[in-house]
Amino acid sequence: MSTEDTQDDEPRHPYESEDSFHPLGEEWEDRMREELEDTEYDADLGMQMARDAQRLVAGEISEEEFYAEYHDDVEEEFEADDRPLFDDVDPAEWDDIEDESVAESLAEADLQGDETSRREMMKKMGAGAAFLGYGAYATYDFQPADGAPDNVSGIRPAPKDEREHRWGMVIDLQRCDSCLACVAGCIDENGTSTGANWMYVFTYEDEDSEQENFLVRPCQHCSNAPCAKVCPVRARHTRGKDGLVLTDYETCIGCRYCQVACPYGVNYFQWGEPDVEMSRLEHLDMRPEEVRQLEGGDYGDRDSERYQELSDANDHVYDYRGRWTDSRPPQGTMGKCTMCPSRQDGHTDNPKGTVACMDACDAQGMSAIHFGDLDDEESRANRYLRRRTEVERTVLEKWEGVEDDDLDIETTASPTSEISTFRLLEDLGTQPNIVYLGNEPGPNAEQSEPPTPYEVYSGSNNKWGVEVVDERKEHLDYGPSGPPEQEGEEGGE
Amino acid sequence: MATSPGEPEDILRPILNTSKKYYIAFGIAAAVALLWSAVYGWQLEEGLIVTNLADWGSGGGSPWGLYIGAFIWWVGIAHGGIILSAAVRLFGMKRYQPVARVAELLTLGALSMAGLYILVHMGRPDRLVLSVVPAYPWTVRTSPLAWDVTVITLYFVMTATYLGLTIRYDVYHLRDRLPDYLGPFYSLVTLGYSETEEQIIERMVWWLALGIIVLAPLLLHGGVIPWLFSLIPSMPGWDGGVQGPQFLTIALTSAIAGVIIISYALRWGYDWDHILTDAMFRGLTNWLGLFGLLFLWLQLQQVINGVFAEPVAGKTAMVARITQPYYIVAIGTVIVILAYVFAQAVDQRQFSLVRSLAASFLMLFATLTEKVLFVFEGLLYPHFSLYEAVPGHYFPSIVEFSSLAGTVSLCTLFFLVIVKLFPVVELHAVEDHHDEHEAAHDEEVTS
Repeated sequence: MSTEDTQDDEPRHPYESEDSFHPLGEEWEDRMREELEDTEYDADLGMQMARDAQRLVAGEISEEEFYAEYHDDVEEEFEADDRPLFDDVDPAEWDDIEDESVAESLAEADLQGDETSRREMMKKMGAGAAFLGYGAYATYDFQPADGAPDNVSGIRPAPKDEREHRWGMVIDLQRCDSCLACVAGCIDENGTSTGANWMYVFTYEDEDSEQENFLVRPCQHCSNAPCAKVCPVRARHTRGKDGLVLTDYETCIGCRYCQVACPYGVNYFQWGEPDVEMSRLEHLDMRPEEVRQLEGGDYGDRDSERYQELSDANDHVYDYRGRWTDSRPPQGTMGKCTMCPSRQDGHTDNPKGTVACMDACDAQGMSAIHFGDLDDEESRANRYLRRRTEVERTVLEKWEGVEDDDLDIETTASPTSEISTFRLLEDLGTQPNIVYLGNEPGPNAEQSEPPTPYEVYSGSNNKWGVEVVDERKEHLDYGPSGPPEQEGEEGGE
Repeated sequence: MATSPGEPEDILRPILNTSKKYYIAFGIAAAVALLWSAVYGWQLEEGLIVTNLADWGSGGGSPWGLYIGAFIWWVGIAHGGIILSAAVRLFGMKRYQPVARVAELLTLGALSMAGLYILVHMGRPDRLVLSVVPAYPWTVRTSPLAWDVTVITLYFVMTATYLGLTIRYDVYHLRDRLPDYLGPFYSLVTLGYSETEEQIIERMVWWLALGIIVLAPLLLHGGVIPWLFSLIPSMPGWDGGVQGPQFLTIALTSAIAGVIIISYALRWGYDWDHILTDAMFRGLTNWLGLFGLLFLWLQLQQVINGVFAEPVAGKTAMVARITQPYYIVAIGTVIVILAYVFAQAVDQRQFSLVRSLAASFLMLFATLTEKVLFVFEGLLYPHFSLYEAVPGHYFPSIVEFSSLAGTVSLCTLFFLVIVKLFPVVELHAVEDHHDEHEAAHDEEVTS
């Protein structure tokens, strides 16, 4: 959470204002009230609960008080009060609960049996109240959540206890030989245009080493992403539920400020017509707005209409919110590595928790890329990181007990591990979610010829038959008509 | 010397008479603007691939270039223009009163061109409104580009209000002699006018001027526009708090140059030698020199900071800038201009209108060059320089260059239309130079 952002902006919690308890102001509140009044339930109760929900979030009243205050009313109105009872909660967990928005607990309440989806239930219960409370909490924390309001995304992952995952990678540079299989795997998955190498591998020479070094560079999916911060339309955003930094291709105005602000150079603009037509990417016979209008579920909801449509079609273009954020961008918008959101949302035939570059790397037998939930100790990424450092520790342990005064173990090796880990440009405060194992390039490192040229994957060596190049500028300089001879283009799938 | 102050007839002449010069100027400007709109149409159709922009990083290019450089340049002209006009009203700088309205109009024209450049720069200009508005309450807290749009809108509204208030007096008192076919327009601008409002309007304008003078260094070129760049940690060439003052000096220098050029054209076109006097031009030339000197001084600050024991990335960026031939030409040009300005300040015989005009054109060339270089050179030397394709390369394409001709023509057209609508020199400036308004009014009304 960005504390400095919240504090200097509004010192008082918005519910304290007299005109409107909602930070978005009266107009918003009125809209919410209208929405509540459209339901069959009591709008006044909803609004009152929302107001108190804000006080609860601010710590003014306790959750018990809040519960007791409305127990009778809720029971009368909905014929049940299935909000979680505090008797069921271990007091040790109370602190955790207090960190959660009360809307979450309200939304958990299932009033009409198991069939009702959470979103539908929220609507019915007039949990517009919950929505209000949740939205207010979210904006107060400078953290518009995915749904509040629906068309504006946040720029940070949700706090740890509110998110489902924090996707990231552990990349073992010592296992990389720059075969560029990951680069090709990414192109096959996303249909990116010539030179837009969302996955990129540096080959470089450094002062102190004779050998060739490699640096695998996907988007770092920063938890404090400068690109999302500067976007004037919130097209570039961070999915609160899992920290993926994505671009909404339907909102992006193509100002390229994200590209300017990103310190890693991972963005590739779609300057002209994309090389791969939409019809070849899209398995769904629907317009983007139709996909958004499908009844959708929350993160991980496998029952919603939208999920069914997308997963039946093996879709690789939309995410669980129905946003067009995956695969290559359309003309005039910004693209970059997405970490395959349609896979993470379970729409494709590839399992959740995998990415195309990792699959390609594994298929080569290299297994340098380990994608996974960095919040989860048992994810592939974290397990790999642990094992890799453990291996090194055993090497070190061999020396333990060796009593030799001439050998100063403390200075010859790090006490925990010989293999170093680093995050790229971490001192810029971006909180990148890629952890590297191996050597960090020094200030005088210089990129050199890669052992495998990017061009190797051109033409028939990729799924789309597109040309693959390292440096894009020359290709773009041909202008809209493209290079004079298009050898190997139009290859088959 | 203002020995024979102008008459109201003088300032009405552009509205009532149309010379051959006017038709020629209008024809050329319209033709160039049309030509450019066709070029822009091509860009809309094919995408930004018709520019020479590209991705930085492995791409080997610069994602921002002439469009953003020209955008800053136009905002600078706009910004300086309104400061000049506000200073005239706030500090009663009578000598420059005849160009106060020209400066305001220049602000409106230049801000419009800056706004147009935002549009031209976009990959998807069609979405500008629908994408910006819904997210605005959130983006305005985090995105310098959203601040930018806010401040440009604010300045546009302030300047338009300012102008709207000050032309009421002129139009009301000259209404009898203004053409009838524009009657509805004049009725609109003088809606609800009463003679008693004059003092109130004058006070309102004074407060507006104060607002503009106070806000100007904090917002626009003194703040928001340089923040677009200096807040980005990944590009060391843009770093530093000096960018605010630096942008401000460039804005003021460019605006004075712009006002000199337009005033010269008006004087030439309408024989206004007695209204737009030599003395006024000499004064403007001196201001051009003073702001130009500040511009150079702040450049020096950056260069010394950049090359002396700066961290690697910052030093690389600065060395690249000062060895870049276009930069040397731009700075050399400013030095030559300053030599002229100080020579004519010491020895009046060195002054000539044409020399000041040439100095103004050269100054605008120098500031535009510096701005465009600032934008793309900053992007060519990022903090993370491992990419072999970094520094990339960029030289604007014909499509991009044509936008300069296009926007200059559009701004010219704007002025050519305005001179037909209402006086571009204030009635106050020609009524009476002894500040006895009432007497002048009476004479005015009875005549």
